[in-house]
Amino acid sequence: MNVLIVEDERQLSHEIEIFLTKQGYNCDVAFTGKSASEKIYVNSYDFILMDVGLPDNNGFQLLKETKEMGKDAAIIVITARGSLDDKITGLDLGADDYLPKPFSLLELQARMQAILRRKHGLKNNTIQLHTFTMDIQNRTVQADGNTIPLTKKEFDILHYMALHKNRVITRVQLTEHIWGDILEEDYESNYIDVHIKNLRKKLSQYGNSDFIETVRGIGYRLNMF
Amino acid sequence: MKLQIKLVLYNAVSKALIISALAVVIPMLIQKIVYNHLDKRLNARHEKMMRMIKIGGLNEIALDQDCSFDSYNIFKEEFVSISPLATLPDGFGNTVIINSERIVDSQLLKHRVLSQTFLYDNQLYKIEIGEGLTSAEELGNTIRNFTLKIMLAVVLLSIFVDLGFAQVLLRPFYNIVNDKLKNIKHPTSINLTPVATNTFEFAYLDRSINEMMTQINEAFRLEREFITNVSHELLTPISILQNRVENMINDPQVPDEVVNKLADSQKTLSRLSRVIKALLYISRIENEQYIKNESAELELLVQDVLDETDVLIQDKNIRLDKSQLEPFVFKPCNKSLLHTLVFNLISNAIKYNRPEGSITVTGINQINQYHLRISDTGIGMPADQLPYIFDRFKRLRPDDDMGFGLGLPIVRSIAEFHQIKIEASSENGKGTTFDLYFPASST
Repeated sequence: MNVLIVEDERQLSHEIEIFLTKQGYNCDVAFTGKSASEKIYVNSYDFILMDVGLPDNNGFQLLKETKEMGKDAAIIVITARGSLDDKITGLDLGADDYLPKPFSLLELQARMQAILRRKHGLKNNTIQLHTFTMDIQNRTVQADGNTIPLTKKEFDILHYMALHKNRVITRVQLTEHIWGDILEEDYESNYIDVHIKNLRKKLSQYGNSDFIETVRGIGYRLNMF
Repeated sequence: MKLQIKLVLYNAVSKALIISALAVVIPMLIQKIVYNHLDKRLNARHEKMMRMIKIGGLNEIALDQDCSFDSYNIFKEEFVSISPLATLPDGFGNTVIINSERIVDSQLLKHRVLSQTFLYDNQLYKIEIGEGLTSAEELGNTIRNFTLKIMLAVVLLSIFVDLGFAQVLLRPFYNIVNDKLKNIKHPTSINLTPVATNTFEFAYLDRSINEMMTQINEAFRLEREFITNVSHELLTPISILQNRVENMINDPQVPDEVVNKLADSQKTLSRLSRVIKALLYISRIENEQYIKNESAELELLVQDVLDETDVLIQDKNIRLDKSQLEPFVFKPCNKSLLHTLVFNLISNAIKYNRPEGSITVTGINQINQYHLRISDTGIGMPADQLPYIFDRFKRLRPDDDMGFGLGLPIVRSIAEFHQIKIEASSENGKGTTFDLYFPASST
């Protein structure tokens, strides 16, 4: 998977590059709209992460150019302006998703996965979690042919952890993923803990749920081997 | 008092003053004219009498035995009398005209009387020529009354004319106030076309308001720009830090103690970005950057929030009473903002509740409004803190480590954006109640 990171803030593009490289992506970086435009013209990318606040170029201009070149790369628009207009403009111009700064790298990866599934219709729509089977398409979890009645949020949490298996997910990352849209001030709350508690309770009725591990003081980890 | 009424009253009072002055002056003038006229006539008669005496002698005018003479015409309007005098009076020979009352046929009548003493045949005589004043006075009264009546009528008429005129005159003023000030929900929505008027003062007022509004608009635009810039300048570095911390947390070479500290740093960063986002959110709402063109079924919206928070309600064993939640369609609105508003209130009701407590949500259709009430049996707050709960960064409970004080300011901004009236009441230790009054949709 080839990814182009278009971001003038070098430290930020560097962190994104480190993360995505570790996840197995081939990363290319452009700091200006001009160099990005050239790179997009010459190379073929699967993903373009595009900051719309570039110094030499309105990011939306780059987005338009890319679409005019007929490139079929998936485009995720990144902005720090955070206004709703940017989101609408970006999506209208053909971006596949929109991420307001600051965003979690795990969230970025989850969005990229979702785009892949949507664009390429991934055949493997199920994830095997020990004795449990997650159906991403139909949003169900089954064990021995029984469907476990999970709420929307419980499913989202389990799915997010499954995407980032064997990796510590902090409460902040989980909270931002689950409650991201809500501007509720209270992130110190135990919302996530309550959800995980209920999730474990439901899963353990149908099998062993110990694979969801609590990492003390930090968050949770879904263990798969 | 209205300027229109004031103008009319001022006009009426000044006219009344002039008329009262005239009411005093006119009778005096009339009297003067009448006396002047009478005096001329008396003098003429006097001259004629004296000529007759000179030519024909006193006896010719048929004096009585005692050498006196009285003659009245039939209506006692005029008389001439000549009577001998025994002693020489002061001012001999002077012609004097005075008003005096005479008894004629046992009737007291007012006359204008000319008198003069003269010598005839070594005998002093006094001649008096009188002219009745009654008819002249009656004429004067008639003229005065008539004039006053006409003037009174003119004043009344002018009051009505003034009322109408003042209304027309002041119409641009009300147009300016209504179009430029009262009906303006937000300075950016002002219409800068001049109000039609040819009164200099109103045009001046209109121009001044337009200039002021243009300046305010400019200030708003700068604020929006400032907010956008600040958010960009702050959120980008936060973004760098956050992603770096994430990469470090997942680096196997980083020891566990450090990972713990990194997780704490991540919380702090998240808090920082949430504060910025919340402030941005409030600014955007206050700057009317959200569009409200949706319609929301309020009871379903509340139900959505309750579904979302159900886990937390159950976790705290809180009893939820929503049996009185009537349907209501609220429009125009921004659903996502309304969702945040209800979410923040419900979330507060859960957060500050005690275990095994209860939350009551009622929604009742009233005349022209919908009353949504969210009350909890939580820790409440002292009455003296109640006025400040919607203020930014006011953390009213000293032991409150659960928020940063922007949840309720957000609620208030959203409520104001939608013209929803919001009231809070609370009893320390017993619970808090939020009352929201949604205006009924006009269509």
